Amino acid sequence: MQLRINLHSTAFEPLQVLACWQEEQAHRLNADSAAEALFIGRVRGVAADGGELEALELEHYPGMTEQQLERLALDCCSRHTVNSCLVQHRIGRVLPGEAIVLVAIGADRRGPAQRCCQELLEALKHNAPFWKREWRTDGSSAWLSGNTPL
Amino acid sequence: MAGPCASEIRILLFAGLRERAGWAERHWPIDCTGGITPRQLWFTLQFPDELNQGIRIAINQQFADLDTPLQPGDELAFLPPISGG
Repeated sequence: MQLRINLHSTAFEPLQVLACWQEEQAHRLNADSAAEALFIGRVRGVAADGGELEALELEHYPGMTEQQLERLALDCCSRHTVNSCLVQHRIGRVLPGEAIVLVAIGADRRGPAQRCCQELLEALKHNAPFWKREWRTDGSSAWLSGNTPL
Repeated sequence: MAGPCASEIRILLFAGLRERAGWAERHWPIDCTGGITPRQLWFTLQFPDELNQGIRIAINQQFADLDTPLQPGDELAFLPPISGG
């Protein structure tokens, strides 16, 4: 199983990262996946209170966040028996419209690929130590105390 | 012969909890035999948050139970509600 996890402190372009990842996978023997499931999450331009959002700040726990992402990914990929897993996550200041997370799963069939992608996304949202702070256009800010609904 | 006793733990706070408490990191003396738990430390340190408001803890960068006895040299983190992805 091919696994890659990266934290980005500056903006990344998910489709470019994905293209490189797929190119690498294409050159691996016996690693071709007939099914791929992708999720790209972007920062919305509206704060939780309905006001305009200037930016989202993402804090993490260096060391534990990386370990926990790997643990969650290995567990999920093992349960669904998938071929490949790519997780890319932003940290730092993220602007509306920028990608915050990319999860890409390759498997032999659509069922495992889609289920693994969704489960891993939910797992990292709730069990990988990240914290979001909303910066509003009036200069105020607030830490979020949970995730948006599914 | 046993090595020197670390005799303290490292406590880390994150995000909103760090800002409400007013500090990010603290070294806390601990008896060489260990035994104090994160729950006991939480009340000793008099945090402004309620412990039942989704606070989780990590010991040496792994999620752990609030009543796990701490050992000298441990890294203890109090984690406010997580919001990743």
